[in-house]
Amino acid sequence: MSEKREQRRQGLVRFLRDIQKAGLPVDRLGDTDELIASGLIDSLAILEIVLYLEQTYGIDFSVLGIDRDEFSTIGNILDLIERQKPEVN
Amino acid sequence: MIRLLQFHENSKVISGWLALAGPALKWLTPARRRTILIAGALWIALKRPLKQMTKAHVWSEVPPDLITAIVVTIIIFAFLWFCYWLALKFTSMPSFIRRNPQLCLHAFFWIILVVLWNTSPEGGIWRVVLVVLAINLPFLLWRLGYMLISAKHNKVAGTRFWEHLMYLAPVYGGTNTPYGKGLDFLSRHEAKDEEALARSQLAGIKLLILAVLWQGVRLIMDGLVFGINNPANQVLGGFTLAVPRLGQLLKQPEIASIGTAWVSLYCELIYNVLNLAVRGHQIIGILRLSGFYVFRNTYKPLLAETIVEFWNRYYYYFKEIMADFFFFPTFVSWFRKHFVLRLFSAVFMAAFFGNMYYHLIRLKYQLIQADFNAIWLTLHARLFYCFLLSLGIFISMLREHRRGRKPRPRRGLMQRGLSIFGVWTFFAIINIWNQKGGIPFVQVTKFFLRLIGII
Repeated sequence: MSEKREQRRQGLVRFLRDIQKAGLPVDRLGDTDELIASGLIDSLAILEIVLYLEQTYGIDFSVLGIDRDEFSTIGNILDLIERQKPEVN
Repeated sequence: MIRLLQFHENSKVISGWLALAGPALKWLTPARRRTILIAGALWIALKRPLKQMTKAHVWSEVPPDLITAIVVTIIIFAFLWFCYWLALKFTSMPSFIRRNPQLCLHAFFWIILVVLWNTSPEGGIWRVVLVVLAINLPFLLWRLGYMLISAKHNKVAGTRFWEHLMYLAPVYGGTNTPYGKGLDFLSRHEAKDEEALARSQLAGIKLLILAVLWQGVRLIMDGLVFGINNPANQVLGGFTLAVPRLGQLLKQPEIASIGTAWVSLYCELIYNVLNLAVRGHQIIGILRLSGFYVFRNTYKPLLAETIVEFWNRYYYYFKEIMADFFFFPTFVSWFRKHFVLRLFSAVFMAAFFGNMYYHLIRLKYQLIQADFNAIWLTLHARLFYCFLLSLGIFISMLREHRRGRKPRPRRGLMQRGLSIFGVWTFFAIINIWNQKGGIPFVQVTKFFLRLIGII
């Protein structure tokens, strides 16, 4: 994993810890573990992730549209950031 | 008890199931499972138009016989294949279609209706084709919508037309709401090996058991609470609480005291949840047995502590339609610099406009006949229901958002109980304006005012 991706991952996990349901360990989730299916967040929390990505990385979803699959795992969210904003730290 | 309920996650049970059904699980590869569902879809695709035509032949020019059903099926298949072809060629479509695929899809339905409204019933075969499409489109629109969402994200390439039939003509059942959404969602939750299939099937068996259990509870409720003469009522020696159903109370409020009316309100809410749970568990149970380990449609909504949580758990796949086709497209486009306005517009677009629109296009026969009076009578009270629902969800989501960045406080049993009771009360009350039977808004509202002691 590149240094930039690792930094983004740490930021994302910190954020998910803020919005997660109580009692579930976000830190133990792997990049491919399902966030909603694992019970960590509910499907409406995607809204918070959208806000996070807009504010932190300036991703414009009005053009992109929302593909819920891209929010399903930590790895998918990191891939989305890389595709949309490869230059942003 | 919890361990017993979670038997589908128990490694020993999974091993046991693998040993018991091993050869069958091995034979049921993803391709074979899909083939079975596709074969079922073909059967449904033939049966469904015949059933609809039988229902519609009283007023329509479409005669209900097998030959016509086959012709109708061919027409619908041609239409579905055309939509699939458009989805495959999505990137080369004109930019307006690429930007607004859902709008174009729904516009097509409304253009058909406008043509039907303005042409004579003796119009000929082309009109029969339009009637057939208009009858079938409300069932297909949200499913095709999911196909177009996939197309927008380049996920249709590599799929075959037949695979899409699994959810376009679902043998596992469903309403206009696509339980299990589209091919993309199904594929994402598909078991890829024997162990995953065993897990999925055990989870499906659990849901089917729960469906039987809730059916039993519903039967007891029918007999004990509502006084319906059924086996449960007979076992109780005819004893019943004789609580009137809400629909009956709205028509004849004088038949019960205020206290009984409140009891009826809560009972109706529980009964609605049971109904949805039974149907949803059956459908999702079959999907899971087929190796698609998708989310439940109903997941303990009566334990929800917030309005938005209840909404998320009560009727998941309907909520997903509202979220996918109305909420998120609005949320990412409107008022992006003002969070409150942004959330408000997205929630109202989904829970008010989307909800009303979904129920409007369900009235396909009235729409084809341009019976606007019947439509208004059926839906006008629902306008207020959707308004209250949207307002409740908006406030609940806003509170959740504002609380979101702080640690969630631990709450006692009493506090949780009060929250749950508050959620029950909210949904029980707004349900007054969500009753079938076209009861006038004024009559419904008077009932509510009587309930809270104003009149």
